[in-house]
Amino acid sequence: MMDTVKSNGDCIHHGAWSTGWSRFRRNRLGVAGMAIIAVLYVVAVLAPLFTPYDPVAQGDIPRMRYAPPCPRHLLGTDKFGRDVMTRILYGSRISLLISLLAVSISVVLGSAVGAAAGYLGGPADAVIMRIVDALMAIPRLFLLLTCIALFSGSLWLVIILLGATGWMATARLVRGQVLSLREQDFVRAAEALGAGGRSIVVRHLLPNTLTVIIVAATLRIGGIILTEAALSFLGLGVPPPTPSWGQMVFEGREVLMSAWWVSTFPGLAIAVTVIGFNLLGDGLRDAFDPKQFT
Amino acid sequence: MQRFFIRRILQAVLLVLIVLTITFFLLHLAPGDPMSRYYHPDISPETIAQIREHLGLDRPVLEQYVRWMGSFIRGDFGMSLRFNRPVSALLAETIPNTLRLTVASLLLYIIIGSALGILSAVRRYSLLDRINTIAALFIYSIPSFWLALMLILLFSLKAGILPSSHMESIGAGELAGGALLWDRLRHLVLPAFVLGVASAAGMARYMRGSMLDVLREDYIRTARAKGLPEGRVLLKHALKNAAIPVVTIIGLSIPLLLGGSVVVEKIFSWPGMGRLMVDAIYSRDYPVVLAVNFVVAVMVIVGNLVADIGYALLDPRITYSGGGRRR
Repeated sequence: MMDTVKSNGDCIHHGAWSTGWSRFRRNRLGVAGMAIIAVLYVVAVLAPLFTPYDPVAQGDIPRMRYAPPCPRHLLGTDKFGRDVMTRILYGSRISLLISLLAVSISVVLGSAVGAAAGYLGGPADAVIMRIVDALMAIPRLFLLLTCIALFSGSLWLVIILLGATGWMATARLVRGQVLSLREQDFVRAAEALGAGGRSIVVRHLLPNTLTVIIVAATLRIGGIILTEAALSFLGLGVPPPTPSWGQMVFEGREVLMSAWWVSTFPGLAIAVTVIGFNLLGDGLRDAFDPKQFT
Repeated sequence: MQRFFIRRILQAVLLVLIVLTITFFLLHLAPGDPMSRYYHPDISPETIAQIREHLGLDRPVLEQYVRWMGSFIRGDFGMSLRFNRPVSALLAETIPNTLRLTVASLLLYIIIGSALGILSAVRRYSLLDRINTIAALFIYSIPSFWLALMLILLFSLKAGILPSSHMESIGAGELAGGALLWDRLRHLVLPAFVLGVASAAGMARYMRGSMLDVLREDYIRTARAKGLPEGRVLLKHALKNAAIPVVTIIGLSIPLLLGGSVVVEKIFSWPGMGRLMVDAIYSRDYPVVLAVNFVVAVMVIVGNLVADIGYALLDPRITYSGGGRRR
């Protein structure tokens, strides 16, 4: 009996996935976004194949400092004679790694909190959601900066903080979904069959909110990349010499007039990446419209 | 209606208290006590104990919490470790500057955003509408600090039309009246634009949707049937109703503007709260960091409260039940 209920739930799920996917494939902008992201991941993983230079080792500073774009250095060189294109290619690793891990942390945290609040209901729900409201009242960047001021920075700290300060919207979303799902027959049936709270949340409620969560997470990644870049720009993100795009834009700030390429190209890289994730997210949202599940 | 307002205000107060509590416990979550980074290695343990006693750090956490809450609510944020001045004095200097910047971008984005949104709605699926949709996507995806640098490069360094930093020119104090105002306005243009452009894109999208909804209504058809000129139908009949839901967006944009002000103020050397915050973080000036955090949260909460109440007052169709749920 349990199995019937479950496989029934799975069945609805499966259908949604494949119809959603075929709808997504017809969305040209969404597919373009996915292509951008795919190319970025390939570039990040295979960065050494695309460039003969080292992203961190200093070049021949007296001769190669701030060399303008030329055939050997397509996007020019920076203060230390390092190839800007190489640093952008390697920098994609940092942006993609940070955004993927941070979004995973916030999705897990947010889903757990949201599901707990939605399933428990009553006073527990009220208390949890007021705390979520309060955290959301502090603008993200201020909350992040405060945390960074209190704990000193490293790559992993930045990832954890970006994840830990970004789960509130997911929590609200999941809570809303769980609230509407828990009244539905298949959940009632599972409850009637004596399934425990944890099993209901994990096996019935969360799987049915999965598409909503994935869409929301994709749309969040762009924001996380922008936030990470802003932190690096303020000198509070990933410590140098690890190449990160925000920090590269910052390094070019002093030489905007004489060496515009140092700031311009890393900024473009950020913009293209974020556009890619936003297009993909929009496409997924249109294809897997959350409204059909509620 | 009155009960809704009271309930909403009490909710806001509760939120402020929770924000304070979170801030306090964040401070105590950090390794060591809040002062530990400032103890000189050569300092004797007795002196440290004295400092701790002086600051009340030897008391139980709960007592510290209550005392800290009390002084924060009274507006006593302690002394800045870097400037050795009361934090409240620093805030009094920087808050007006941040407000000048944020209010300017608020006005700018409301005007630009609604104009573009209305045009897009009226000329739906036209070239302009499509350009707006695509432009919004790009604007959302561009890092603000990079946009700021590019605009500085174009307008300040290359063309030399606009100043690249600060609130006024050096020696502007000697200018008077119109000349001073002009100087300040010129300094305001770039930072206000960078800060507001993302919100303008959002505003245009919402205004477009809202206008499209309203334009389908019967009273618009009636107004047109009466033979009113199209401009009047749009501005008097449609816009008045379409603007109501958009009011909420203005409230929601406050955290965006304040958050953005951190980066924008830093780039344009704007002497506001955001820059104060960043500089305080570089020098680990905790009292300033926590106070700015608190003030910003209060601004956001109050902004949302005002937007909610404004929404309720503007739309006569909306009544609020005692449960605060929209009927």
